[in-house]
Amino acid sequence: MKGIRGISKLSRRFYAAARTGQSLTQPLAGLKLSPGSAHFYQDVHVTRLPSGLVIASLENYSPASKIGVFVKAGSRYETSENQGVTHLLRLASSLTTKGASAFKICRGVEAVGGNLSVTSSRENMIYTVDCLRDDIDTVMEYLINITTAQEFRPWEVSDLTPRVKMDKAQAAQSPQIAVIEALHQAAYKNALCNSLYCPDHMVDNVQSEHLHQFVQNNFTSARMALVGLGIDHAVLKQVGEQFLNIRSGGGATGAGAQYRGGEIRLAGLSSLVHSAVVSQSAAAGTSEALAFSVLQQVLGAGPHVKRGSNTSSQLIQGVAKATTDPFDVSAFNASYSDSGLFGVYTISQAAAAGDVIAAALAQVKAVADGGVTAADLTRAKAQLKGQFLMSLETSGGLLEAMGTQALTEGSYSSPEEVIKKIDNVSLTDIANAAGNFVSGKKTMASSGNLIKTPFVDEI
Amino acid sequence: MMSLAARSGAFSPYMQASAFAVAGPLKALVPGVVLKGEKILLDPKKQFLCRESLNGQSPKTGPAVSVSINGCAGVRLAHTDVRIPDFSDYRREDVLNPDKSSHESGESRRSFSYLVTGASVVVGVYAAKTVVSQFVSSMSASADVLALSKIEIKLGDIPEGKNMTFKWRGKPLFVRHRTEKEISTEAAVNIAELRDPQHDKDRVLNPSWVIVLGVCTHLGCVPIANAGDYGGYYCPCHGSHYDASGRIRKGPAPLNLEVPFYEFPDDDTVVVG
Repeated sequence: MKGIRGISKLSRRFYAAARTGQSLTQPLAGLKLSPGSAHFYQDVHVTRLPSGLVIASLENYSPASKIGVFVKAGSRYETSENQGVTHLLRLASSLTTKGASAFKICRGVEAVGGNLSVTSSRENMIYTVDCLRDDIDTVMEYLINITTAQEFRPWEVSDLTPRVKMDKAQAAQSPQIAVIEALHQAAYKNALCNSLYCPDHMVDNVQSEHLHQFVQNNFTSARMALVGLGIDHAVLKQVGEQFLNIRSGGGATGAGAQYRGGEIRLAGLSSLVHSAVVSQSAAAGTSEALAFSVLQQVLGAGPHVKRGSNTSSQLIQGVAKATTDPFDVSAFNASYSDSGLFGVYTISQAAAAGDVIAAALAQVKAVADGGVTAADLTRAKAQLKGQFLMSLETSGGLLEAMGTQALTEGSYSSPEEVIKKIDNVSLTDIANAAGNFVSGKKTMASSGNLIKTPFVDEI
Repeated sequence: MMSLAARSGAFSPYMQASAFAVAGPLKALVPGVVLKGEKILLDPKKQFLCRESLNGQSPKTGPAVSVSINGCAGVRLAHTDVRIPDFSDYRREDVLNPDKSSHESGESRRSFSYLVTGASVVVGVYAAKTVVSQFVSSMSASADVLALSKIEIKLGDIPEGKNMTFKWRGKPLFVRHRTEKEISTEAAVNIAELRDPQHDKDRVLNPSWVIVLGVCTHLGCVPIANAGDYGGYYCPCHGSHYDASGRIRKGPAPLNLEVPFYEFPDDDTVVVG
């Protein structure tokens, strides 16, 4: 009997080897699954509860699990009365909650060797906790407490002021952060112009009530997604139903972002001038946004190998003809739920700033005029696909991808679908996108010694 | 640590660039922060001098900031602003000067300290002993009890040859003023003949006064004074004869009459007890 079974397995192996196109994550074609057997391939399960909460999970049988609560509570949802509340909220993630004190949370997470972090962007606030599979119950309890049962005790909140100052000092140390925050401030009239950091005039003035109110208005079930890696979907669903259904309703709807286009110049002593020139692009999820992403790769976005002369980056090759001093240039692309920014970011010596910016913009105009070959497009698509797929290789990247999709669309598109969409971008789409940039109203932000840096109406 | 290395794919539009407190392989752009009291000191920026060091420094998309309870925060606390207070008001003359070695004055300082300590210890021990003994002696008999234990007798009231009886400590006390004849008689008695040999001078301080307890040593009756065959006392219960010194001469009693402690503060008074 054993011999016969062994022979049949042998045939399956040969069968599988013959099918070179067979994916390792899909079951073999023609194989009948018995009804009671568990799926032995991994896929992302997404459930939408009646309250609007989306639950997504992937059981990847890894020894470490990662759970994330994604909330549509980024800095764009701050109002004029509570500017800077998301910065405090980010720092307040480890404060006392109704079910656990600050000490208990810190000690409990450390005791199981886990990690608790909160990341906030302009759109979302993401609470992530990761630990070994067996300890997931403990840290899940803390995660639920932190997202739903915060107390924001006034004295603890006021103790966060030195940390806010420290955050701001470290952010100011990086010119890139300063320029990008200034860029958003100049580009939009509301919502997306709010900085990720607390403004100076609000550093001591964000109170516990502001935090409570912001949470009341924005941490509602319809705006949250509970995502897990390495956890059973049924378990996660139960947790979501039991604990995260606390606030129903859509909460306060954020205002639609209004693009205005402006300029901010941060004069300084630094000999390196950082400058960003952008124009409005498309909202995330649309095909135009995908075209802009491919355009970003066509123009050149970051080094792909550790050392080299960036031969694949059109921007760098173009700017290298304009100046011999050290510089760096990259295409900048940011997409938000209802708007986006696309442009170029340059770092140059103070005396060559004008030439560098002009050369970079000339390259974009060349693309708009149809100067992209099919080979360039293929190369750009391959780079984009590579970047996307490699981001899914880490558990953090995968969780983020699952979470943002669950939050914005309520479903998860597999990597194959995304690859297909990228493949559908054509040369005309690229040219149109570049043309949108060239003709659109520009926003500019610069920092450093701005003696030779042009104004936005001069470029 | 701040980092602007792009971490996510282009299709994931929201999460990007910087992670504030994430330990990992991301390139740290901003070095650590030093906190000195209230001031935040930042290390000088890394020098970007050539194209290679600038390579990849441009951000590709909008930032996201993250905070973690156990990520590296890149903050050091400088303790160079801690001020040690000035103790000159409390220092000895010899060690006020920080530039002079304190070794030479060491011996004199040490001997002074040890002397003062030794003397204090001696005085302290003595004081302790006094206190303890006062507390302990408070448990001994009180003054009224002690007062009852003594009796003061005026000797001028007792004529020669007469015996007076006093109550003392619940027992009868015989005070006898002896004549010269009685004294010499008692002194001449041969001690070897006595049942309880005791010389008269061992029983009296002043030979003219004999002070004894009036309790017969046989069975405790009170002897009658100036009675009996020997010119002393006679116990009527069983016929014990005592002489003028209170010694047993004839009869069943085994011992002489007990002589209590007494003293003569002056010629006219005796205090017994």
